[in-house]
Amino acid sequence: MKFRALLVFVLPAVILVAAALYSAPQQVPQPHHLTKIDGSGKALSAWSGPWSCVCDDRTQLLWEVKTDDEGIHDGYWTYSWYQYEQGVANSGDCYFEKARCDTEDLIRHTNRQKLCGAENWRLPTTDELQSLVIADPIPGHPAVDTDYFPRTKRGDYWTSDGNQPLQGVYQYLKRGSRAINFINGDAVTIPYRNAAFVRLVADNSNACHKARQ
Amino acid sequence: MAKNKSFSWILLHGAAIATATLSLLTGLRIATLSSAPVAAIEELLPQGQVHSAHFFSAAILTLVAILYCSRHAGQLLCGRLPDFTRMHYQKAIIWLGSLVLLISLGSGWLLFSGWGQSAQLRTWHFTCALALGAYIFLHGGVYFVRSGRRALTRILLPAASPLARSFFVVALLSTIILFGWQALTARSPYQLLVAAMPLATPIHIDGIADEKAWTESTALAVNTDGGANFIDGQTRVSLRALHNGEEIYFHITWQDPTESLVHLPLKKTASGWQVQQQGFHHFDETRYYEDKFALLLSDSCTFGAAGTAHLGRKPLEGKPANWHGKGYHYSDTGQVHDLWHWKAVRTNDMYLADDNHIGAPYRVRPGSRRYTAGYLQDGKESGSYVMNWHWYKPGAVVPKRIPGSPDMLTPYRNLRSDADWVIPWFDYQPYSVEEDSYPPGTLMPSVIYSSNRFEGDRADVRARAQWQDGYWSMEMVRRLDTGSPLDIAIDSGVCLWVSAFDRAQVAHTRHTRAIRLALETTK
Repeated sequence: MKFRALLVFVLPAVILVAAALYSAPQQVPQPHHLTKIDGSGKALSAWSGPWSCVCDDRTQLLWEVKTDDEGIHDGYWTYSWYQYEQGVANSGDCYFEKARCDTEDLIRHTNRQKLCGAENWRLPTTDELQSLVIADPIPGHPAVDTDYFPRTKRGDYWTSDGNQPLQGVYQYLKRGSRAINFINGDAVTIPYRNAAFVRLVADNSNACHKARQ
Repeated sequence: MAKNKSFSWILLHGAAIATATLSLLTGLRIATLSSAPVAAIEELLPQGQVHSAHFFSAAILTLVAILYCSRHAGQLLCGRLPDFTRMHYQKAIIWLGSLVLLISLGSGWLLFSGWGQSAQLRTWHFTCALALGAYIFLHGGVYFVRSGRRALTRILLPAASPLARSFFVVALLSTIILFGWQALTARSPYQLLVAAMPLATPIHIDGIADEKAWTESTALAVNTDGGANFIDGQTRVSLRALHNGEEIYFHITWQDPTESLVHLPLKKTASGWQVQQQGFHHFDETRYYEDKFALLLSDSCTFGAAGTAHLGRKPLEGKPANWHGKGYHYSDTGQVHDLWHWKAVRTNDMYLADDNHIGAPYRVRPGSRRYTAGYLQDGKESGSYVMNWHWYKPGAVVPKRIPGSPDMLTPYRNLRSDADWVIPWFDYQPYSVEEDSYPPGTLMPSVIYSSNRFEGDRADVRARAQWQDGYWSMEMVRRLDTGSPLDIAIDSGVCLWVSAFDRAQVAHTRHTRAIRLALETTK
């Protein structure tokens, strides 16, 4: 009878007390192929910030992260495609140049700044930029991991693949550059003079090397 | 030795045990939303879509109670009155338990119906639920302690009973339960008549329902409770609706003693700017937050916000737990439900409600500390509000923007200021340490409008509210059919639920019965 009394009255009481004393386990981020990097090149944990770059463990590429501080990396700035004296200079919109902006302006400023410790910032190739496209974005949101790449616009981002033949209504302009449309991740060829967004990339970066260790 | 019980008795007794236990556990899970002591034992409680289970078990328990009462009423009518002076322990406990059960069922059905002051009723219901839990131990537990396995044999193994009669009893009760449940689910929604008006009739979305058309609509009042703040966590919501064949308009009022516009303000301290919060870090702020209101629209009228309310810290296997332990909204079937989320600071000056949706649980986003399962915002082309910090930390934050002149912060001298706690983007300048000479104690708003409004799918719902004399008054309008796959096309039969938030991030009020729209034929 004593055993049954223990079973019926004491055991439930012990369970209740144990449940009240129990603390849910601390939540931690899941492993991911993207790593946040701060402005000095130091890796941050997934739920830390602010960060200036992202390292992709799959490609070992270091990516620029856009801001909304009206500085060099503001996500609203647009650029015409211009590099190695090819393309159209100064046909985008930004605040950090006296004249209007082109892709070479952003590359020059970013390398001078040594963003995330890198000095070899450049435009990404089509394949490189397309490696950031995700197949299942939040409906109505850009096709990229916006938790790592905030302030990405649903628009065209330049690649380094210039000298491409233009088609359709742009055919009369003859040549343009490839861009990735972050609405759906498609590659498009648009005229150099277009004001499109830019996300720079750097390879062989110390930041990615350290983040992998 | 006592004889085994009859099959009918065992059936009713077993049903009473099972449904009382299920009702108790699911009810306690629902209570975790607003009761911290119950939330402390939430690990022991069932998770997920518990509302339907709670009502279904309560319906069966009610049937069992009616049958018991009928039997006892028959005995009383035959003159077999209980002798209270010579009643032994178990008889007394059973009478007390029956009384508790009746109060529990009565208060539960009154709560379900939405009648009366729901907070007081809920207190009665909750107290009786705890007493019912005690009854299970004092009745069943004491029987088991005294008699051991013999007690179980007696209530589980029936005395010989004709098979045909047993089958008849089971079939009859099953049929009553099945049809009763179907009738309950089909007939439980409130009906909101959406009055028709000519397409040319203008309604100004300003929160003041002074247009003549509103006077021709019928008001529906719904008691909601279980939220943070308010008066006892409850508020009565009044709804009117109109349509012109193209758009649907709502005028909604709800009681809120305080107009809460101070949304996570920034305060300068010796160590820098700090976000004022007491629960925001766990996504459950109930003090430094704006007032809000939400409408959920769905083609489904299922209990528990169209079946999207899944309670518990981790109701989704394989997905992260939620930080506040309340639960998630998501769709089990992949069906999309519409959610209009008006925010007193973040959207009211945009003349918008945030057009959101609830769908299937979204994939885990490793970079996001907060997982919201199926609750997501619709997409937008441009425009937004942003918070005035680069990265939130419970300690110090770096603001994105500060005013060019200290005078601009004069209206925010204290947290009771009824100033507009919104910063227009271009009125402030990018933050720099050199420009930040503000003394400790300085307050600054944290919501920045980077444009006048959203553009795109997220801006489908226009809304504006005004607070006066303890009430919010809000007007809303949306096209009946936006064509968006993330919106619900509105027609007769669509159900909606309403929730009010009094300076609370997630702790909203709620009601049980859906509100079914009935659109009047266009004039």
